[in-house]
Amino acid sequence: MRVAYFSPMPPEQTGIADYSALLVPALRERVDVTVVRRGARKPPRGTDVALYHVGNNPDAHAWIVDALRRAPGVVVLHDFVLHHLVAGMTVGRRDGHAYLDLMEREHGVVGRLLGHGVLDKRIPPLWESRPEDFPLPTFVLEHATGLIVHSRYVRDRARAAGFSGPISAVPHPAWPAPSVPRERAGDGVVVGCFGVVNSSKRVPELLRATAEVRREHPELTLLLVGSTSPGFDLDRRLQRLGLAEDGLARAGWVDEPRLWSLMAGSDVLVNLRHPTMGETSGSVIRGLSLGKPLVVSDVGWFAELPDDVALKVAPDDVEVETLTAALELLVARSDVREAMGAAAAELAGREHEVGRVAELYAAALENAAGGDAVSDAVLREVSEAAADVGISANTAEAREIARRLAEVELG
Amino acid sequence: MRIAVLRPQVPFARGGAEIFTDRLVDELRARGHEADLVSVPFKWYPGTRVLTQAFLWRMLDLDEADGRKIDVVVATKFPSYLVRHADKRVWLVHQFRQAYELDGTPLGQFGDSPEERALRRKVQELDRVALREASRLFTTSRNVASRLEASTGLAAEVLPHPPQELDYRCQGYEDFVLSVNRLDRAKRIDLLIEAAARDSELEVVITGDGPDRERLERLASDRGLDGRARFTGRVTEAELADLYARCLAVYYAPVDEDYGMVPLEAFLSEKPVLTTTDAGGPLEVVSDHATGLVVTPEAEEIARALGWLREHRDEAASFGRAGHAIAREVTWDRAIGRLLA
Repeated sequence: MRVAYFSPMPPEQTGIADYSALLVPALRERVDVTVVRRGARKPPRGTDVALYHVGNNPDAHAWIVDALRRAPGVVVLHDFVLHHLVAGMTVGRRDGHAYLDLMEREHGVVGRLLGHGVLDKRIPPLWESRPEDFPLPTFVLEHATGLIVHSRYVRDRARAAGFSGPISAVPHPAWPAPSVPRERAGDGVVVGCFGVVNSSKRVPELLRATAEVRREHPELTLLLVGSTSPGFDLDRRLQRLGLAEDGLARAGWVDEPRLWSLMAGSDVLVNLRHPTMGETSGSVIRGLSLGKPLVVSDVGWFAELPDDVALKVAPDDVEVETLTAALELLVARSDVREAMGAAAAELAGREHEVGRVAELYAAALENAAGGDAVSDAVLREVSEAAADVGISANTAEAREIARRLAEVELG
Repeated sequence: MRIAVLRPQVPFARGGAEIFTDRLVDELRARGHEADLVSVPFKWYPGTRVLTQAFLWRMLDLDEADGRKIDVVVATKFPSYLVRHADKRVWLVHQFRQAYELDGTPLGQFGDSPEERALRRKVQELDRVALREASRLFTTSRNVASRLEASTGLAAEVLPHPPQELDYRCQGYEDFVLSVNRLDRAKRIDLLIEAAARDSELEVVITGDGPDRERLERLASDRGLDGRARFTGRVTEAELADLYARCLAVYYAPVDEDYGMVPLEAFLSEKPVLTTTDAGGPLEVVSDHATGLVVTPEAEEIARALGWLREHRDEAASFGRAGHAIAREVTWDRAIGRLLA
């Protein structure tokens, strides 16, 4: 079966490009995959099903959504909130009317008025200030013949948004942990936080909790790895909390080998966010592969991680206190770290193993390409047999047959 | 208890699953249960017939029969476990293997078209849905349990059952090697014939019948084995017990077999078993140089191993006796005790 594969690919530096670089070889063992060159307008001739990786970044995904809108297919929904993508494909192309129409279609007249406010620069861009309140997924969902998602959270939100086609929940594939030297950022317990440094990653809360934990456990080092978002005043916060001189290790953007080394040299990984856009985290997946205990926000995909792998912190008004307690536990108890780390590695090998993920992808693609034909043939044969013995539509007998078919997912 | 044993029936075919289910009914009755066999014909081709024929099981009402409750149903192989019942116990002989490990092999059924690929996935989906409903889930071997877990994520208890009842005995170790099998390609009788072609002292007796018989007889003739490879066709139970009793060893090398009763039958006759590293279920009881020999699936290796057994009859007998100790532990009392617990 021939699959046209639309995705950012290396050397593009996106998480989804890395994801596809991992997945495609395993998927090719199961189906005939053609990776479509960037900018292609539609699937190659002879394609049985097209697969579109869609995320919120218009630079990486606008061409993919353009192709999807010409030739519907299966969409891998990496983010549920797509406002930034939609803005890039409308406002970014000087098509404000399209943006207003989409805002009105999903959010009524109020949405249209807010859209006007954005276009007139009277209010901040919604894709930066409140994207979670205006996710705009329909722009993509209406062209999807099926969805692949990574969480029940996104599945449920897609259903709530009115998507009625097949949805397959497939785990994010895990990179095998490479053998890299462990780069230690401190002599005591190292808590690593990898990713862009900003408020939505809850870095202010993490800094406050770290300062609190260090009162009892000065051996704790917080390692922050990633570029700082413009406008995020990291240095001032560090000064205020007394972390500027001691207790903090800092690295900006690092390449992949160093990323793994720094993660491997961490004892605990923290990956927080609020609000969630429905995304997964490549850092968390790498942490699972490395067998690291995790602290995550109790939101979206992160909330679905097993409890024996991740401590979860709700983004509520006691978030800092909860985070402090979680870090205190993990800093003080090496046995807990070891048990959670072992569970994490086991989860990566079982649920997120790339061969298993590729098999689930293949099933979703094969169902998308041929499932309707199979269902039609089954229903035709059963209904003909029923009619032959005098069972007509809308009778109790016909309803029972329909119920039984539905029970085993044949109807 | 009132127990219905469920068996899909391929008209005019009879094999291990039929022997097993007939015997299960007898053994349940012998223990005071009211047991009966429920069969529905099964045809798995062409196209979506595999699904519509499977669906017939879903329409059955086995809650009660003639006004009296059926306490337990015991489903055995695809698609009998699609049945609905409050106490559906599955004792899985095998799934529909063409949709799993045989897919993409010459023994597979589904082609490369999107419709056929989707059809295979629907069969898998049926398994997931129907097997998840089971109140207890057993498999006849670890091999079947492993496949089930890999394909559906469902964990099953391994519950082996004894082989058919024969007058098992050992009357020495004559020169011939015995093959007991339905003659189809998956059983790889051709490897035994090719081994005989490489060892002029090797004599083989091939029992059973099947679609591969003509090809195998021609192969034996082409290799000049006249007299050294004897095809008996189907034999009676008494004849089979006699062959087991007298043979040197039993050859059993199917591809990734579910369980395979032949090794246990050989062991009950105190005979060693020669099998291959890729045989699947048989490897759960045949251990190299303990209860038999395990070699790679190549004629050369098989010829060498059978020659070794011929030259080391004391060891052959000792392997057979070690197998006997294993086989006699597999009893109907134990199996039914766990099935109905």
